[in-house]
Amino acid sequence: MSLSFASPLLLWGLAAAALPLVIHLFFRRRPKPVPFPAIDFILRARQETRRRLRLKKILLFLARTSLLAAVALAIARPRLVAPEARAAQGPAGPAAVAIVLDASASMGYRLGGGTLFDRAKADALEVLTGLGSDEPATVVLCGGPLVPQAEPPSFDKAELRRRLAEAELTHGHADLTSCTGAAVRALSESAPGQALRRKLYVATDLTAVSWRLDAPAPVVTTPAGPVRPEVTLLDAARGEALENAWLSNVAADPDPAIGPRGYRITATVNGQRKEPEGDATLSLRIGVGKEARVAVKSFIEIPQAGSMKKTLSHDFSPGGPAAVSLALPEDAYPEDNALFLTLNVPREVKALLVDGAPSPVRQRDAAFYVEAALAGAASPVRPSVVDLDGLSRVRLADYDVLFLLNVRSLGPKAPEVVDFVERGGGLFLAMGDEVDPESYELELKAVLPAPLHVVKTAASEHGEHAAARFAEVDWEHPALSVFNGPAREGFESVRTYRYMLLKPERKDSGSRVIARYDDGSPAFIEARRGQGRVMLYTSTLDQEWSDWAIRTSFLPAMQRIAAFLAGGLEERRDWPTPVFAPRLVPAPEGVQVISLLAPDGGERKVEAGRGPWAVTPDVPGLWQVRVRRDNGKEGLDPTLAFAVWPDPRESDMRRLEPSELTAWFGGEGHARVAGDRPPGEGREVPLWSWLLLAGLAAFLAEALLVA
Amino acid sequence: MAETEKKILDPVVLARLASLKLRVRATAEGVLSGLHRSRHHGQSVEFAEHKEYTPGDEIRHIDWKAYGKFDKYYVKRFEHETNLRAWLLVDASGSMGYRGEEGRLTKLEYASALAGTIAYLLVRQQDAAGLAVFAGAVTRAVAPRAEPSHVNAIVETLEGLSAGGETRLASAVEFLVERAQRRSGVFVFSDLLDRDERILRLVAELRKRKHEVTLFHVLDPAELTFPFEDPTLFLSLEDDRTVEARGRDVRKGYLELVGRWLEETRRFAAEADLEYVQARSDTPLDEVLVPFLARRERGAA
Repeated sequence: MSLSFASPLLLWGLAAAALPLVIHLFFRRRPKPVPFPAIDFILRARQETRRRLRLKKILLFLARTSLLAAVALAIARPRLVAPEARAAQGPAGPAAVAIVLDASASMGYRLGGGTLFDRAKADALEVLTGLGSDEPATVVLCGGPLVPQAEPPSFDKAELRRRLAEAELTHGHADLTSCTGAAVRALSESAPGQALRRKLYVATDLTAVSWRLDAPAPVVTTPAGPVRPEVTLLDAARGEALENAWLSNVAADPDPAIGPRGYRITATVNGQRKEPEGDATLSLRIGVGKEARVAVKSFIEIPQAGSMKKTLSHDFSPGGPAAVSLALPEDAYPEDNALFLTLNVPREVKALLVDGAPSPVRQRDAAFYVEAALAGAASPVRPSVVDLDGLSRVRLADYDVLFLLNVRSLGPKAPEVVDFVERGGGLFLAMGDEVDPESYELELKAVLPAPLHVVKTAASEHGEHAAARFAEVDWEHPALSVFNGPAREGFESVRTYRYMLLKPERKDSGSRVIARYDDGSPAFIEARRGQGRVMLYTSTLDQEWSDWAIRTSFLPAMQRIAAFLAGGLEERRDWPTPVFAPRLVPAPEGVQVISLLAPDGGERKVEAGRGPWAVTPDVPGLWQVRVRRDNGKEGLDPTLAFAVWPDPRESDMRRLEPSELTAWFGGEGHARVAGDRPPGEGREVPLWSWLLLAGLAAFLAEALLVA
Repeated sequence: MAETEKKILDPVVLARLASLKLRVRATAEGVLSGLHRSRHHGQSVEFAEHKEYTPGDEIRHIDWKAYGKFDKYYVKRFEHETNLRAWLLVDASGSMGYRGEEGRLTKLEYASALAGTIAYLLVRQQDAAGLAVFAGAVTRAVAPRAEPSHVNAIVETLEGLSAGGETRLASAVEFLVERAQRRSGVFVFSDLLDRDERILRLVAELRKRKHEVTLFHVLDPAELTFPFEDPTLFLSLEDDRTVEARGRDVRKGYLELVGRWLEETRRFAAEADLEYVQARSDTPLDEVLVPFLARRERGAA
């Protein structure tokens, strides 16, 4: 066993033990002269007590000196180190030192009034302070997406101190295996001619996800061959378990049960705790910043270990883009207590149905079926029906979508319809006996996805085998993406007896066929015209040419098509991205993106020019986009806001057993954990508590002697 | 005793009276006032001899017991106490000049006030009072006389005293042995801090010569309590000796020694039939004198 000190610099405090001697020699009080008659008695009394007083003085001096020396020694934290533990500290002599500071998001965990990162930084600075002038050092900051870089050790301690002092916590993940590898490589480059020891200090929270123990442990390359570094793990958590509760996922799905703009928000709640926590609140907040409000609050039980799901429903009327967040009560690691989600809730769509062939027989009236499909309680569409005569009296600008159902010709209204589409309106064309391809070619050529050709009859009778079926369906199309699994059967089983053939479209027409019949003829064809969208269905929406109107797929498909044509459905759903994952900010037409507003309030400028812009969000939360429109107005565009989620790996606070890590570094002969949990229980005996006891005993002895 | 008189007898109040005469007067008045309340009154005359009766003598003075024996008329003759002589021996050595606190009487001033008061009381009852002041030797002496004006001579002598020199009580004893041939009362006022350990034996010699000896052991409260704490350089009041000591360190030993000394002094005085009165210089004078005088009156009765 040998004696060592955790803070040897503090041994300077031992000088305080000389204070009683200094006071005795230099600050002795001069006795006050006093005449006194019975001086003989004083002489005799002093003679009798002289020996006892001298002994008392010596004891008092020893007690005071011991008290100061014991306290000064205790502050330096001495300990007896067993030979094997001593070996972990390596032989004496100067060393090249690499300090790895874990700056990953999990280091933001709050413990004892501060973050683990604050502690780790203080530990690293203490190590740097304790280095001798002949010991070069380097610092590696570990966290975020960047590849860890380590410069060769240098003697510029001031620069290293500045780097450590200015180091900031990141919101990313730390791969400490890579970081320690980089640090050890830097140690390999330090003064190869000198016989320096190689020391590696890692200030971390010891979370298991930061280490890849299946990789080989780093070794220092020296001229004499590979050497394991002397590793000291500075445990910022001081051996304490890190409890955490977090949200790992939030998903939103339409919930027609509560309305056309109803959504089910499902949160996945995880717990890593000593005990489950009951009656924890899960809040659904809408909005961001000061305008955020709690819409729904629910009580859940956070599991001790594992996860659970909780679904909250909310009606997001009147629709439009919405920023939603789900939040747990803030705990020691607040980064993962809330997750944002952006929704594009469909607005109310006003649809005008132009019935080209009104019929008293409902089965022969397409408008009857379409109106019934669009006017459901959960439908975002509000339909109105007019005939051709009525169309002339209607102001198209009051509507979002125009349905032309078996209309022969628009006549003088045609230019207005074309203008309506090019200004952003939606147009749906359904065929029928009344449709005249030539009139359409003349009047609507500018907006038609493809020129009409002739009507094809697939089956003269309503027969099961003769009818055409939908095939080659683009299920990813927003209008059809609602059909999943068995639900697709309701669409694929539609029987079509007659349909309009189309002339081959030009390659630059911008049209897209989203469903064809089994003979390859287009069934649905879609195109963008101007700012509007046009969709052409080559059969009828009554039961004359097809039985789709009575199929289960008709109602949702028509509602989705109406919403799509009105611009209420996006082609791609905006999924949240993890922090530090690159993503593209789209460039809508007529809009210039200026900057991104980060959740922490910072503004990130984007390069001038046309997008899309590639960005790497470095803070979790809701990112908003500041835009300048063609009309010169600037502001935040809520449709472009996107959610960034914290790195899920950092939420896993399970810690490594120190023995696992020291074993990975080569065993206790090469690695140890500094702090309150030294490796090899019993190999190191802390002496400071005994010294404090000795100091207390000296203090009591001094008090007794003085009394 | 009236409250105001009691107040006057307080040593602190007496210390403010500049003149010893005033102190003696005030003390004597207070003491007399205290004695008048006592039921024991002393006799002012004592039997001396018989004389054969002649016409004109008081018939009540005829001694009928003598007539029974000798068949002749004899008349008792009495002698007044004026025939008694008293010596006041006052120690004026350096140690008697000590006072533990400002505003308190020095031991010499306190002893002078005691001696002056006793002289006043003696002369008032027509006894003769004499004074001897000593330090290393007897420095001043006033022969005993009973005239009322003699008190002034004693008080003036006491008033002119200043403390100095070492204590040598033997010199006073030798002085008295030479001058006091007949039986006398001897009042010694001293702190008894004499380096000669035989001092009490010498005083006891006086008692063997039939003198009635009273020892007024005058001490300052600081000598009895030793109220020193810090490191102090103690200076002797009678020679060049000094002692450096921390008060709190030697206090216990000092108090033990002083206690033992006082006990031995008291025991020796009792064995040698000396009357011993301890007088702390912060004790009102009447509290010292009234019990002492009352004891003497009881003894005379």
